[in-house]
Amino acid sequence: MQMHAAQFPFLSTILLICIFGLALVLVLPKNSNAAVKWVSAACSAATLALSVFLFAAYDRGAGGMQFVERLDWIPSMGISYLNGIDGFAAPMLLLTGIVFFTGVVSMWELDFRVKEFFALFILLVIGVYGMFMALDLFFIFVWFDVSLLPMYLLIVIWGSSAREYGAMKLTLYLLFGSAMILPGIIYLAAVSGLETFSLPALVENASFSGFEQKTAFLLFYIGFGILAGVWPFHSWSPTGHVAAPTAVSMLHAGVLMKIGAFGILRVGMFLCPEGWMYWSPMMAVLAVIGIVYGVMVGLRQTDLKFVIGYSSVSHMGIVGLGFATMTVDGINGAVFQMFAHGVMTALFFSAVGHIYDRTHTREIGELGGLSAVMPAASGYFVIAALAGIGVPCLASFWAELLVFIAAFRVYPALAMISVGVLVVNALFMLRVVRNTCFGPLNDRWAHLKDMRFAMGMPRAVLAAAIVGFGLMPFLMYDLIQTASVPLIHSLGQAVGFAGPESVETLFTELMSVWP
Amino acid sequence: MTDWILFIPELYTLAAVGVFFFLCLCRARPGRDYAAAMVLSAGGLVLTVCTAGFEGLVFEGVYQVDLYSQVFKALIYSGFFLTVCLCADLSGVDKARHSEFYLLLCLSTLAMMLLASSVHLLTIYISLEISSYSLYVLVYFRRGYPKGAEPAFQYFVFGAASSAVMLFGFALVYGAFGTAHMAELMGQVPARINEPLVFTGFVLSLSGFFFKLAVFPFHFWAPEAYEAAPHQVSAYIATASKVAAIAILVRMIAMTGGQGDRMAWVLIFLSVASMTAGNLAAMAQKDIKRLLAFSSVAHAGYVMIGILCANAMGYAGAVFYGLSLMVMKFTCFMVVVKAADGGRNIKTDALAGLHQRAPVLALALLLALFGLAGLPPTIGFTAKLLVFKAAMDQGLLWLVIIAMFNVVISLYYYLGVLKAAYFIAPAAQPRAIAVSLPFRLLALAMIVFMVAGGLYPRYMMALAGAMTAGLFP
Repeated sequence: MQMHAAQFPFLSTILLICIFGLALVLVLPKNSNAAVKWVSAACSAATLALSVFLFAAYDRGAGGMQFVERLDWIPSMGISYLNGIDGFAAPMLLLTGIVFFTGVVSMWELDFRVKEFFALFILLVIGVYGMFMALDLFFIFVWFDVSLLPMYLLIVIWGSSAREYGAMKLTLYLLFGSAMILPGIIYLAAVSGLETFSLPALVENASFSGFEQKTAFLLFYIGFGILAGVWPFHSWSPTGHVAAPTAVSMLHAGVLMKIGAFGILRVGMFLCPEGWMYWSPMMAVLAVIGIVYGVMVGLRQTDLKFVIGYSSVSHMGIVGLGFATMTVDGINGAVFQMFAHGVMTALFFSAVGHIYDRTHTREIGELGGLSAVMPAASGYFVIAALAGIGVPCLASFWAELLVFIAAFRVYPALAMISVGVLVVNALFMLRVVRNTCFGPLNDRWAHLKDMRFAMGMPRAVLAAAIVGFGLMPFLMYDLIQTASVPLIHSLGQAVGFAGPESVETLFTELMSVWP
Repeated sequence: MTDWILFIPELYTLAAVGVFFFLCLCRARPGRDYAAAMVLSAGGLVLTVCTAGFEGLVFEGVYQVDLYSQVFKALIYSGFFLTVCLCADLSGVDKARHSEFYLLLCLSTLAMMLLASSVHLLTIYISLEISSYSLYVLVYFRRGYPKGAEPAFQYFVFGAASSAVMLFGFALVYGAFGTAHMAELMGQVPARINEPLVFTGFVLSLSGFFFKLAVFPFHFWAPEAYEAAPHQVSAYIATASKVAAIAILVRMIAMTGGQGDRMAWVLIFLSVASMTAGNLAAMAQKDIKRLLAFSSVAHAGYVMIGILCANAMGYAGAVFYGLSLMVMKFTCFMVVVKAADGGRNIKTDALAGLHQRAPVLALALLLALFGLAGLPPTIGFTAKLLVFKAAMDQGLLWLVIIAMFNVVISLYYYLGVLKAAYFIAPAAQPRAIAVSLPFRLLALAMIVFMVAGGLYPRYMMALAGAMTAGLFP
């Protein structure tokens, strides 16, 4: 694993900005709601700016781990504070920055226990950022848990329907996942005999047996997979989404679920290539069941948040299918999908949150014709829905295309089932859009006003990201490629895996039309 | 000639016992007794910390002073001092008996200190008995407890039975080796631990310590005693007493040199049974003290993981676990003492609105519960990491997975307490909790300690490693 030391600790700066912001929010007087919001907004804007900078400054020619920082933490156990980003982590940092900023602005109208909300929200984001940049297994686990714990409080205090049930279910599920990850991490550190928790050191120097890799990968797959919404561990997800307040739903479905998928990738696939290969057919089957299940159950839902919740299960299934193909295209598509789904689902929840704040209902049957009175809000809802069904020129289109190109080669039958089901989903989503935004206007909503510019701004940022990366997918693709190619190459070296031909795809040909 | 300097902390404590005895003879004055207890316990703590570097053998080699025992003595004294800090409002105990209360507490502390340094089976037995008898009496000190003497009597009967079994085990060990000196046993036990006589002797010998640590099935006294005792006594049993039990248990198991598969399996069984039984039973509890008692049973199981590994990291992990347990359990009892009116027991619901009534206490409770559940970044997470790593080094992946299942179970009831403290609005106008400045500082100190132990544990871990380094033959 090629590593480039940092000239300046940009990654730690992101964490420090968040920690400073959190401290500032905590020391502000209890009733200074405006100040709390401005501090949170400034903190999120600063981290977004740094995330954009890192995304742009990542040297795509050099590849490998960049902006690497290291500090000994517990030398006796080989634990160090080790950060770095590669082509997989940089898009996730950007995603976190976008969703953090837009989430804070989306909650601008909050007036109940404001200080606590934003403090917990920033704490959650610290865990998320930390998880995406950490390269030490100990810290990966710590950040993972730090990102989970505030979720319970955020849902219980500020959530809506069945919040206590949703929060407890979510917390127990996710912490059960973390209870699987910890043994896996310690197991690998112990059997390596290297007395280190450093992921690069273990990847480079450890030699794990087939049994060890299969065992550890299974633990990681279950542990991280629960958070990624892998079927059958997904059932916390729709319940949690529905119970959570808008910004938390955005962060939850937009970023937190990606932590799960990222964990499988970063820890499971990097450390246990043989385990990955062994379990990949099972991963593919579970992913496709997730895709089908998410769509089919979503069809029966009448609550908008449940619709998005189940569609998230389905979309995360696409990520799982991409991983299971063990090809460059599949991995590229999966990581692209993680980003695209993150932004898209954040926009979805943000739009639904706004509609709910105005109408106090999320029942599809009670809505209708909203575009007549709320054209901007409806517009964002429509963009999110179109992204959800993978319309060309939106980011998710490229992601799904790549995954299915790979899946048709490796698992043709499963790919066919998935594509067929996604067509059904597209029809259903269009019907949801029609019943919500178009058609005759329900008289109850005739008095509603459209969102102000300030409230529309976060939605505009999310929509811009969806459209921008849809029109210029190479910005993302080239970056992910710098990590996926070496990963698949090292897989070939590690386990003698000769996967299907995975370069020079339709995608690269399509990209060649760009200057 | 005995090197009395090595015995100074114990002599000081003995003198403190004398002072309390003298106070018992005087007219009851709770304020004076409390002040004396504060001064004497703080002085003893400072003295014990200052003598932590002492090393040597006393009393014909039956009493060993080393880093291991001295640090444990400091921990035991910390438990005593912290318990006394909770005694400003000792409303659960008759005013006339306050000096007796401190006398017994101090006597138990002295006995536990002796236990930490004892390296002869007889001195171990005597120390354990003295510490236990004081606690049997202290449990009965609760004023107006509806069940009367029954829990204390139950505690005594279980304790006496365990002691008898332990003494029988000691006799078998002595019969097998012809010596009761641990130094001599250490050289011979590892080679013969699988012999039926030695194995049986050892397993029976450990029962007394299992009883003190409340390991399943020696735990039946715990919920009753915790519930019945004054809160401060429950806190003491949950902190200092547990630390002392870990001290001697680690020393006894270390004597086997990590040999003996059968012994390991016995310990594994007890560990799994304790974790599971403790956590499952705790889920059904509404009384916070009973809940904490069953949680102690579960934690005894986690500690056992470190001990049964019989390797350097395992012992260090068990010691670290003892330290973390002391801080976290004390913090929970600190909240119980403050939230309870007049020393009565409280149920989980009584914590409703705690975050508004006493934010610092609520935050301390939150961190303590997170720590007990083993969540980062708290000292409890580091402790679990250490014992689990030790188990992994021994190839016990499945045991760690079982332990992690238990961690998830425990989350259910810890989150239940947390929910009450943070999310449930009190039914009626709740009593405002007056938290004095010293008490607030104490809570803050606990918060800092719990977080520092999670974020930057390297020095504490190094100390635990250095302490246990001398235990290997």
